[in-house]
Amino acid sequence: MVYNRLSVFRAERGLSRKDVAEKVGVNPQTIGYLERGDYAPSVELALKLSALFDLPVEHLFSLKPFTPLAQSLRDPET
Amino acid sequence: MFIRSKAHPYGRMLSIETVRLLMILLYLFYPLGCILQLAPVSGDAEKWLAGGGLLMVVAALIAFAVLAGSSLQRQVQEPESELDERESSERNRAAFQAHSVFSAIVLMGVLYMMLTTDMAEAGKLDLWRPVTGAHWNAIFGGLILLSFTLPGAVLAFRKAPPAEA
Repeated sequence: MVYNRLSVFRAERGLSRKDVAEKVGVNPQTIGYLERGDYAPSVELALKLSALFDLPVEHLFSLKPFTPLAQSLRDPET
Repeated sequence: MFIRSKAHPYGRMLSIETVRLLMILLYLFYPLGCILQLAPVSGDAEKWLAGGGLLMVVAALIAFAVLAGSSLQRQVQEPESELDERESSERNRAAFQAHSVFSAIVLMGVLYMMLTTDMAEAGKLDLWRPVTGAHWNAIFGGLILLSFTLPGAVLAFRKAPPAEA
């Protein structure tokens, strides 16, 4: 299972799934599948997405569940 | 078979529930309609059964026409270069499973033909076998419909509903 924070960063940038899909060259449905965790991306797609959000890939994708945002804000050490 | 229209170059987006319903309708109505049309009955019942059977086959073909223009059918039939990595990997998995199911159906049909022919020749049991051109056409038509739609059916019954917003 590959976890991701795609929906968080997408909302932060005010992008629709279609916008993201067009920028990385996939079908908009694929972004939906990724966000729901129903599909694990290839290395190429993961790198394209991290480049789009200008983030290291491990900030976007992880093999462990991400700490919820509210908890991260309360306790920045986690 | 994917029917591309100018209005929907990537296929018409149907909900997964609609696709499943159309697949069930196609796979139930086509064989039932053929059986009713070709049933060996005579008199008034023959006309009613044949008429009912024809309507069921037409309904199945309409379901097939709608499915042939759907985005799911595009995923199954489009060249590899036109699909993204998720669509392509899903399609490959579905094609493998559909191939297995199709092969099993054809194998069972061939075994049935072999056994019923042997038993009839031995005078033991005279089970129904396709004899006339209409019988064979119904079977071949069904196999053609199945080969076109089975990978899409595998996808439709495995997929979670998509999200595009």
